[in-house]
Order: sequence, then structure tokens, then C-alpha cells
Amino acid sequence: MDKDLILLFLQQGIVSGMVVGSVYALLALSIVMIFKTSEVPNFAQGEIFMAAGYCALFLLVFQATPVWLAVPLTLVVAFAGAALFRRVVLTQVSRASGSPVNLVIATLGLSYVLKGLVRRTGFGDTPRSFPALVSTDGVMIGQASITRLDVAIFLTALAVMAFLFCLFAYTKVGRAMRAVGMNPKAARLMGVDLQRIHMLVWGLSAVVSAIAALLISPKILMTAEMGGIVTMAFAAAIVGGFTSLPGAVVGGFVIGIAENLVGLFISSRAIVVAPFVAIMLVLIVRPQGLFGGRVAIKKV
Amino acid sequence: MPELRTPLLSVENLTIAFGGLVAVRDFSIAVAPGTIHALIGPNGAGKSTTFNCISRLYRPNAGRILFDGQDITRLPSSAMAGLGIARSFQNLELFNELTVYENILIGAHCHCGASLRDRLSARPPHLAAEIDRIIERTGLGAYRETKACNLDFGHQKLLELARALAIRPRLLLLDEPAAGLRNREIAILDGLLTDLARRDGLTILLVEHVMQLVMSISDRVTVLNFGTKIAEGTPQEVKSNPAVVEAYLGKETALHG
Repeated sequence: MDKDLILLFLQQGIVSGMVVGSVYALLALSIVMIFKTSEVPNFAQGEIFMAAGYCALFLLVFQATPVWLAVPLTLVVAFAGAALFRRVVLTQVSRASGSPVNLVIATLGLSYVLKGLVRRTGFGDTPRSFPALVSTDGVMIGQASITRLDVAIFLTALAVMAFLFCLFAYTKVGRAMRAVGMNPKAARLMGVDLQRIHMLVWGLSAVVSAIAALLISPKILMTAEMGGIVTMAFAAAIVGGFTSLPGAVVGGFVIGIAENLVGLFISSRAIVVAPFVAIMLVLIVRPQGLFGGRVAIKKV
Repeated sequence: MPELRTPLLSVENLTIAFGGLVAVRDFSIAVAPGTIHALIGPNGAGKSTTFNCISRLYRPNAGRILFDGQDITRLPSSAMAGLGIARSFQNLELFNELTVYENILIGAHCHCGASLRDRLSARPPHLAAEIDRIIERTGLGAYRETKACNLDFGHQKLLELARALAIRPRLLLLDEPAAGLRNREIAILDGLLTDLARRDGLTILLVEHVMQLVMSISDRVTVLNFGTKIAEGTPQEVKSNPAVVEAYLGKETALHG
């Protein structure tokens, strides 16, 4: 392989990787957000993402709802659905048994329910394409070629990340969310309503996933199985340390870029392996993940 | 005579059992407003369990807890801050990844304000003076922007106290505030607690093993052993009570002592 080709592949891999990585990062953020406050890996995150995508598809294509209405409506539905699930189902499950395993099973249940619902409507029977809201004309960045849509995806994802950062760093509710993530018992004694915070976090997480769905759907064929993309987000979260929000973002980009570089340099059939190789490499070098903080040493 | 006034906190016939083990049995205590009341007793006597009942982390099997005449036995623990009940923990319960300032700010969660401007403020300006004063009083001035997990143990203890003060409590529940502190730090704590009760009119109920502190600051002392109250009175009365000496030192030593 000559030098020019290597350089071209590197540029293309990194730029395309940043675009898809920004979507992985959003999904990883939604997973980590819930894990930090509820200690539950939400295995329904992919299906929340998928269902939100179908909700938008239904509104835009089948109801011909204008974009300015369809997008906020989708986000509201995602927020309300997830907050309600946390309030009604998970509260009951954790009351019946304190074991986190049961909460995890409940999220698996949600994933099947959402998949079933989408299939039931009939929209999930055949692969469907989501209308692009931004033109797909080409843009060159260096020697890498992407579309205007890709640029819009990347910038929107960055804006969402910036919004989340400001929310957690500079607002009363964000402060309370972080406090609940660190020490729920103490937060409760400071007057923080845990139930409310949990509902808000689940709702917010679903909104971020829904935005990810709106961004990536025009680039893929929509099926009821599209939630499988969440595997990449879990990989991103693990690379980032699973409890760190900045880690989730960096992890998303790492996985996205790794995937694209492997596809270009090795083989497109090796793409599926790339995230797991990345996980293994990171875990060998830093078992706690890139941003996982110190490994806890417990006194016995 | 503070003893004659209506108690700010009264616990009536509290019983709590874990499975077959009765940790606290038929325990009553009345804490008069503006006083420092110490709850002492050997390890495992049920002091922290009593605290956890009062701050609503445990649900008692029997008995009532009244705060300012209101029955709080069934209220959720998130309602405590709003009522003006703050506590610290024997084993620290800080927000480790937050700075000293942020920890105290979470303590003031109920006072952050509900207007949009207050909600969107990283450091609500109307709380700045109050938090500054708390930081100054607890001697944490040099550590405002230090993460809680990077403080030494003594300062972490003080931070728990500072965070509790930000609740603007009327009742302060302190679980072994002096444990693990050096003498110089205990002296600071002694002065601070006395000041809080005498000058600010705070009511303090504390569990403590450091007798030098208990005897110096307490108006009243209640002694708990094996989950039941064995003595109550002024520090002097309790010190010379034979049942107390026996509980702490054992029977034989007590006879010779």
C-alpha cells in the first residue's frame, strides 16, 4: 500500500469515524447517565433508540407531520415513555426485590416490549428508509469525502454533548443528579427527591437516544433490529470506564474511528470485530477504562 | 432551665429489631431546644440505629418520633432537610467527586430557590454569603475547590458538618463527629458546637465516644447499653452513676474502682 493511499485512508477513516462515533457517543452517554444514577445497565437503550426512530418515521412519513412539530413530539414521547417506565415498572421491581439483577431483567423486558410494539404496528416488517432532513451533497474535509448530512450529524451531536455538560455542571437539577450518582443516601437527606431525579435521568437519557436515532436513521435502513447498534455504544461506554460521561464521549469516538480504520485497512468484514478488539486493548492497558478513575482498593 | 421547655425532638418508646435481634428496645429521649444532648454507650448499644430511625433511614418496629410536636415517624428521609433536621455520619457519606463548595451547595439544595434563574445557576448568588460563612466557621477556607475525596480525614469530618449546616437545621444529629480527629481538631469542634448551640440556638444530639468532648459540651447525657437506656442526666450525674461505670468497665473493675 503506497503512502498516499495510507494517508487518504487515514483521513477518511478518522473523519467518517468521528461522524458515526458522535452517534455512538450519544448512545453511550444515555447508557452511562442511567448507570451512574440507577446502577443498572439499561439493556433496552437500543430499543428506546429504535422505537424513537419509528415514532419519528411514523409522524414524518405516514402522518406527514411537519419537521418542526415531528421532532419535538418524538422527543416528548421518548422522555415521557422512559420516565414512566422508571416510575411505574422499575420502582415496583426494586420494591419487590432490591436485587439489581431483577432491574436488569426488567430493562430486557422493556426491550422485547418495544420491539414487539414496533412489529405489531406493521412498520417494522420491511426495512424502511428515513427521509434525510439535510441534503446529502458531498463535502470534502482534507481528502476525506463525507456528506452535508454527516456534518450536520456531527455538529448536532456536539451541541447535545455541550448541552448535557452545561446541565450537569451549572444547574441545580444537574448538581442533584450528580449527587444522587455519587451518594443517593446522603442526597436524600439533603432533601433531593430521588424518585423525581430518577425519572428525569431516564427521560433525559431517552431524549438523547432519540436524537441519536433522528441523526443516524437517514444513513441506515430502519428495521426493528436496528437497536443492535447499541452494542457499539456499550463498547464505547466500557472503553470510557462506564461511569464517566467524558469517557463515554471519547469511547464513542474511539470505537467509531477504530471501526472505520479497520474497514478501510483490513476488510469490511472485520468491522464487527473492531470494537471488541478496542475493548480488550483498553482493558488490558487500563482495566478501569480510560476515564474510570482509580481502581477501588477496599480495606478488609 | 432548658429542661422544662417542650422538647424539640422526642422519641417515644422506640423499638427496632433486625430479624430476631432487638437493637433498640422501648427507648425514649427528649431533647430540649437549644441544648447539646449526648447519646453515649458501648459499641453496639444501638446509638447509630437510633440515629438512623430519627433521620428516617430505618423504619422502627414500634414507637413514635416527634419533631417540634409533629409526628415524623412515617415521613420519607428526603423530607428531613425541609423540616430542618440535618445529620452527619459515623462513616463519611460525602459526595466524593464534588468540591467542598459543591458539597455544601448540595446541602443547601432546599434553599437554592425555584426561579428559573436560581435553577440555572452554578452558584446561586443569594447563598454565596451564607456558604462563605459556613466555610469560614468550619475552617475549610483553604479547601473550597478541593474534591472531597482528596481531603484528609479530619477535614472530611468537618465538611460533613459544614454540609449539614447548609441545610439551615434546627436539629443537628451528629454521629461520632470527633472520631478519628486529632486533639487540636477536637478543640475546634468543641468550640464550634458550643457556639452553634449557645449563639445560633441550634439543638444538637450527638453520639460520641470521645468523653473529653462529651463531658465538656453536653447539657445532658443519655446512656444506652444493649439497646436500652440505663442512665440520663447531667455529665456529672452520669459520670458517677454506678450502672454507667459498670457498662463501660465491667462489674469487677467497677467494684474496685
